[in-house]
Amino acid sequence: MITAGIDIGHQRVKAVILENDNIISHESRVIAGAVDAAAKTIFHGVLDLAGMNAASIQRLFATGVGREQVTFADGNSTEMLSHVKGAHRLFPAARTVIDVGAEGSRILRCDSEGNLTSFVMNDKCASGAGIFLETVAAMMQIPLSEMGPFSLDSADKVVLTTTCAVFAESEIVAEIHRGAAKADILAGVHDSIAAKIALAAKRAGVEEEIIFTGGVAMNIGVARGLEKHLERDIQVPQNPEIVGALGAAILAGKMRNR
Amino acid sequence: MITCGIDVGSLSAEAAILVDDKIEAYSLIRTGPDSAETALSALRAALEKAGMLQQDIEFTVATGYGRVIVPFADRNITEISCHAKGAHFFRPSVRTILDMGGQDCKAIRCDRKGKVTGFIMNDKCAAGTGRALEVMAALLQIRLEEIGARSLDFDGDPVKISSTCVIFAKSEVLSLMREGVPINEILAGLCDSVAERVKALVQRVGIEDDFVISGGISKNSGVVKRLEQKLKVCAHIPEEPQIVGAVGAALFARDLLHK
Repeated sequence: MITAGIDIGHQRVKAVILENDNIISHESRVIAGAVDAAAKTIFHGVLDLAGMNAASIQRLFATGVGREQVTFADGNSTEMLSHVKGAHRLFPAARTVIDVGAEGSRILRCDSEGNLTSFVMNDKCASGAGIFLETVAAMMQIPLSEMGPFSLDSADKVVLTTTCAVFAESEIVAEIHRGAAKADILAGVHDSIAAKIALAAKRAGVEEEIIFTGGVAMNIGVARGLEKHLERDIQVPQNPEIVGALGAAILAGKMRNR
Repeated sequence: MITCGIDVGSLSAEAAILVDDKIEAYSLIRTGPDSAETALSALRAALEKAGMLQQDIEFTVATGYGRVIVPFADRNITEISCHAKGAHFFRPSVRTILDMGGQDCKAIRCDRKGKVTGFIMNDKCAAGTGRALEVMAALLQIRLEEIGARSLDFDGDPVKISSTCVIFAKSEVLSLMREGVPINEILAGLCDSVAERVKALVQRVGIEDDFVISGGISKNSGVVKRLEQKLKVCAHIPEEPQIVGAVGAALFARDLLHK
């Protein structure tokens, strides 16, 4: 059985092709222009990578904030459901999924079968979201992907006193002027984001294993910070960004079996 | 009797010099990276206008976000107390004060003597503060001072800015610009969202006439007018709304000197 999942986020689109539980190909791209066109482009991208054509895909599911705009999908599933399914497939012991994307975060709880049991989400405030990391990357002139490793060199992390990402920008400017080391500022930013996410997670209640997904999970600095604030180990999948798309592909398969 | 009040805010700093009960001179400058330096510059600017020297000042009270770092102050008093006292000086019948500053917003209730009886403040989130308007002015490439008047050029119900967070609102404004929504309408939507946010704060503290608005945003007619409509009250704005805190501090300095 071959299925596909497409996850439309606030900034990026992700796609996965799944054949009998194996990920055949996956991709992530920035959404430029209309959502449906971006979905088509990435669908063809993953088909090419897999050496397949559209006819080989038995069912395609869309997920994410823009899931209803994917006109060629056979069905769709909420991002909550997809993330839990994807995370549970990769880590069968998963009970909590922390998904942090560009514009929001979700704390999802599931049972031993990978069924969603509860969730809380924050899409109102940027202070615990990926967009804050992007702003800082631009300010500090460092590629987004290098922020995490770079921050691990910090010996004396800067403490950001404000929660709001807008106010934090001024604090960061002041720290740059003060001559604080880049690694120390980045470590401070990661810690502040991690603290914010951990607070929401503690409110929702966390149970091990904890899986960290979404684009922000690619940042090792935030991941370590999250472990520190939660005082628990967390698992980060090899490609944390595609977990939602993977879940959608799994759900597409399940629908077929009914 | 000559006293001075210094209000060091997050974005601007003010100094007011009082001779007995009269404002002799005041200054308003932009906050620099060093709060102590900023306070001194504000003081010097006011002294120069008054034609006075620092030793002429008998007592100085510092207030505002940077008050603890004003080295030459004899005393620090919170900006909540100073704003109530200053607003009471400009309008003795005041009972509710809304101070809309650069990085925070406070709704204050006071008694007939200008003494604080309750307050609520937001200093955790940039939404509804001067900072939100600054960010948007930069994004739309217009001057901060233009926002109010231009937003009032738009008639009717403007587009709704649905994001609370200023960072998300930025993306929202960018897409509105791409869709070709006129700038003045976007500005009207922004002023409306600031007014909506501030309205919630005022309603929580409870409103009683007279209602005075102080702080930098009160110079934005677009926000003030929409807030008046939403709250169904008339707002009184001092001639120079940014010096209310500094004047309140100078009045406290006068009282302390009396003792």
